Amino acid sequence: MKGLNLIYHFHSFQNSDQEFMPASYRILYFFDEEGFVSPKVILNLLKAFPDSDFQDKTFMNLDDLKAFALRVAEDLEVAQVRLISVQDYNIGIDGAKDIKSYRELFNKYGDALINQQSAKKKGLFGKFFS
Amino acid sequence: MRAMLDSRHVLDSVRPGEQWFCYWKTSASLWESRIQDYPKNEIIFIPVYWGFHAEENGTWDFGKYHPERDLVRLISLLTQYNRKFCWLLPLTPAPFLPNGGLPISSARTLSLSAEGMHLACLDQDGTLHKMYSFFEPKVIKYFASFVHGFGEMLTQSKGKFHVWGAEFSFLENHVTTSFLEDSSISFDQGFSRYLRKNYPDGVGLNLAVDEKKIKTSFLSDMRNLIGSIAQDALAPYWDGVQSITVFGSSPRDTIERALETGKSQTHYFKDLFESYISHRWFSTCLLTSKEKKDLLKMCLGEHFSSNEIEHRYHYQAESTDLSSDFRPYALIDVFDHYRPSVFDNNGLKPFIQDSFQWMYHLHQDLDFTPQWIDRSHHRVKFFHADGMERTLFAQMLKLFMMGQQIVLDISQLSDELDKRLQVFYLENNLKIQSVNFLTSIDLCELGEGRFITFEGDKLKTEEDKVNFWGHMFKFLNMDHPLVELDNDIFTLWRIRATSPHELNYLDVRRVNFYNPTSYKKLVSIQTQKKFAFMKVIDPIHAMAKTTPDGVEIELLPNGKLGLEFGHYEERK
Repeated sequence: MKGLNLIYHFHSFQNSDQEFMPASYRILYFFDEEGFVSPKVILNLLKAFPDSDFQDKTFMNLDDLKAFALRVAEDLEVAQVRLISVQDYNIGIDGAKDIKSYRELFNKYGDALINQQSAKKKGLFGKFFS
Repeated sequence: MRAMLDSRHVLDSVRPGEQWFCYWKTSASLWESRIQDYPKNEIIFIPVYWGFHAEENGTWDFGKYHPERDLVRLISLLTQYNRKFCWLLPLTPAPFLPNGGLPISSARTLSLSAEGMHLACLDQDGTLHKMYSFFEPKVIKYFASFVHGFGEMLTQSKGKFHVWGAEFSFLENHVTTSFLEDSSISFDQGFSRYLRKNYPDGVGLNLAVDEKKIKTSFLSDMRNLIGSIAQDALAPYWDGVQSITVFGSSPRDTIERALETGKSQTHYFKDLFESYISHRWFSTCLLTSKEKKDLLKMCLGEHFSSNEIEHRYHYQAESTDLSSDFRPYALIDVFDHYRPSVFDNNGLKPFIQDSFQWMYHLHQDLDFTPQWIDRSHHRVKFFHADGMERTLFAQMLKLFMMGQQIVLDISQLSDELDKRLQVFYLENNLKIQSVNFLTSIDLCELGEGRFITFEGDKLKTEEDKVNFWGHMFKFLNMDHPLVELDNDIFTLWRIRATSPHELNYLDVRRVNFYNPTSYKKLVSIQTQKKFAFMKVIDPIHAMAKTTPDGVEIELLPNGKLGLEFGHYEERK
């Protein structure tokens, strides 16, 4: 569970009441080993994404959600952020039996994104010890 | 040695707290010694792991094949050692049981949260328990068969037994959600059957609101069905249904508890105190020794042990008059009748959260019983008119006639209730004093009773709301020390009658402060010339000093301390 982890809910709407409703990607939980990312940090950074519904923490496409997740990783200076959909989380839960296998599901089913800025910042010591 | 014993107590998964005894977690050969470990005066609560008793052929084993399922022997041991006990029968998936307690053959569909996540909870020993849907048709069939068998076993054991139905829930983002709630395919299929049965001519679910309403009534019918199946089968022993919030069981908790840092003491304190003000009982059975340590353990022992447990299960009569024992004390009752946002919008809730921290109770319904009315007589009661029904309206007016202080937000008051209110004023010849301060306020008095109405929706800005409630509470003149403290400090007030050598006081109030954070915190208490500081009780990492206005406290990380005040009549 090292680095940031983001669990999101993907919802694909059907045409509802003659109105077209597009798909949405909603952030449910965003956390690292230390705990949950502060709602204030999320809200402030969400406001920089004009296509997001910042009150509902929702994006219209996955690319925007990924860009947002990386933006948070940059802000918090974390090297990696893993995105996991609720559907994949559920597959992971199905196979998990205890706290150890539960923790592993994020590595196993999460889609890892590398924060390039953090990678670039790695100094000489970082390179030796990574 | 004492420390060793204490840690054994906490680590004990057979006895995980709140006087529970988890019989399936230990060998039946150890039951006898484990039962003897319980203090004789404590009631033992035995959760029923019904799936554990399932045999492959659809029958139930109560000891014929496995000694750990031998509930007849368990009863005879409890009786032999003269222990009071009662059964807790889960009416929902239970987060501390494998498969939520369901027999393997009926655990087919995993329960889903409203966000579509599988519900899974981490046990004390790190086992992940997955919750399975009660909406799977086989579950109800099996459940009915089990309670029938369980009832027969109790009848054959010939005794005076007590059974409580337990509805387990989790707490996340200040909202309590029953483990019965489910968004899985089993729920959807059940809902389709429900629609076909109850709306044979079809129903137009054009609006999400319509669908939500019908789903809520489906859930409510299902809850009633499960409850009535259990109640019918166990009628001679049935004591009622208890809602139990299981700490550490929400989807967010499962994530947080799996992290290296885990869920903090402060967060558990918040859960505990939110449950306390909402009058919901709780269980700490999932918590590890690391989670239930230090301050949390002390707070549970000081405020939520045997006496409080037995009050919650109505095994101890609650006397109206104060006695020599301390009892919980609050100043305010808020009734939201399932529309809590009204008190957020008119600013009451934020105000009391800030100014009367943990000194109020939030209720959805009014418990209009003589006992409750008498015991809560001193508390100011707040109602709102949005969606208010006639019965509640009439009961609220009766409370005023009985001499209680009532404050009603009349925004959204229906025409019918408005007419009734005007008739009430006329019939009782009540003089109305009207004031315009940020909104329109009407006040009438009858004996000690006060009835205040105001239009909450006219309070638009945050500043207006704080100003309005500040003046309102000044007018209501709460007889209580004024406490200034940080949000992460937790306090519990209790009250008792005076003893013969304290005759000068009206009553004695004790407050306990807990600082579960890792920071030093300061608290100031102003006694307001009505309270005399009496003594400091059991300080740990804390100190108190008196000042001309009252008392100042310094609480170090994990610090706690109690103070006692004598309440006296103000000389005029």
